[in-house]
Amino acid sequence: MTNVNIESDEEWSYDFLESLVEDIEENRNIMQCISCGKCVGECPAAKISNFNIRKIISKVLRGDRSVLKDSDIWYCYLCERCKRVCPKEGINIPLLIINLRNESFKKGYGPKYNDLTKYVDMASRFLTNGTVLDDPLDGELSEDRVKELDKICDFARIKYVFKARNANQQKDSDKEESQEKKESEIL
Amino acid sequence: MKVNNLAIDIEKIKEEYPENPLEFFKGKRLCLFKACLEKYFPGVRFGIKNLCEALDLKVNICEKQSCCSGTFFQRNLITRAQFAAINERNLNEINRQGDILLVSCNGCYNSLLRGRDFLKTPEVYKKTQEILKGVKEEMGGEKYPGQYEILDNPNLRVMHDLDFIYLIRESVINTLKYDLKGLKIASHYGCHYLNLDRDRDTETYLRDKRKLEDLIELFGGEPVDYSEREACCGWGASQIVLHPGDALKTTYSKLKSAENVEASFLLMPCPTCLYTLSKPEFRDQIEGLFEERLDIPTIHLNELIAILRGCEEEKCIALRRHSPRIHEIYETITKE
Repeated sequence: MTNVNIESDEEWSYDFLESLVEDIEENRNIMQCISCGKCVGECPAAKISNFNIRKIISKVLRGDRSVLKDSDIWYCYLCERCKRVCPKEGINIPLLIINLRNESFKKGYGPKYNDLTKYVDMASRFLTNGTVLDDPLDGELSEDRVKELDKICDFARIKYVFKARNANQQKDSDKEESQEKKESEIL
Repeated sequence: MKVNNLAIDIEKIKEEYPENPLEFFKGKRLCLFKACLEKYFPGVRFGIKNLCEALDLKVNICEKQSCCSGTFFQRNLITRAQFAAINERNLNEINRQGDILLVSCNGCYNSLLRGRDFLKTPEVYKKTQEILKGVKEEMGGEKYPGQYEILDNPNLRVMHDLDFIYLIRESVINTLKYDLKGLKIASHYGCHYLNLDRDRDTETYLRDKRKLEDLIELFGGEPVDYSEREACCGWGASQIVLHPGDALKTTYSKLKSAENVEASFLLMPCPTCLYTLSKPEFRDQIEGLFEERLDIPTIHLNELIAILRGCEEEKCIALRRHSPRIHEIYETITKE
């Protein structure tokens, strides 16, 4: 049994799960969860944060959508340890977490803003030279390949992060320009 | 629609070449996957390339390959279909110039297999096809047939460097100049080598998780066990960047546990784990958080092979002057 107090069958609702299954069929397998807690016991994120996959699965199975607002889902290490130790076949917890994060984004909750900003430079480098680091070991990708990556990433969040960076840069440069203008006027 | 698993069938090679598995690779084109983090550890690429060349194997690098994009998928910045499309573009290019893709990074290895795995879902397959079709239009057509298509039945097979080195270990040992006598060594495998089930049918899932220890023994060293052996390095899909105060607890436990058993160094098969476990700034932060200086050195398997082969220090552990006690380990191993 879970450590969640279930008073009656009415508390169970599979609507939320069904909406997740529509996106990823594999999510249906979490109905097999026996709440044994092996995943939590072996989870590196559970050791250092409030991330508790047993509770998350329980919330999904009860149809409790508050899990999408929960910052805990952003603490998963995606290390796949839970998959390895799970006594049931086919429960794919890392994929469920990625699915929940997607839903969280769609609802406008998402990760903390500061967390996303840490990806701005990486996103920018990926879309301009095909790697996540500056000055890659083997030089930059050819223009053609970069164009392909750019097209593949159309409408992806990575592009919004990239555009946000450019907009911020433009804002900073406008600000700097107007400051310089003001200073020159004073002088 | 049939999407085949690209993980190489190690058991089959062992069956076909029981005496000398190296024979399987002779004449085949080996391509080295470019892991982004090799930038900080050029010895990782150098080590495997140098070994292949010493064994008379044909080795190349695909100039057209991009980052595996696993980082962006893990943070929901690209969809499964976009991730799979990036993967197919890489595999398509690599398939043209290689028969076997050797991968030095657990993260990239996971991405390469995961991207193919996603294609087994019909909707993802369809969306990936649409994305690639859009790229074809954008680029004004193909330069070669199938350039923007999902690889149907590629010749290419993907292999982790650790599995490769382990499989041909009897040949590797003949190329070494030094050994690991007198050294106690702790092994770290990394989550995306230990926990992967995409290659469940091959030997790398639940069993045979002692390849590093076996190699240490073969090279004359003493493998030492420690309580956090199977624990994560702390990278945790960028958790160390997002929540360093929390993730560094994981890194600290790992390093401390290996130091407690008096390991001379920590050996691993992944540059991302190496980055996390060796970065001087992280060691400083750990000291600040836990009031304890941990200085256990960390080495990638490919770097170690290069050192054991007698390659010059600058090549084996290039750019690692600030890594804790790395020079000391190099000196100890190469002492005549």
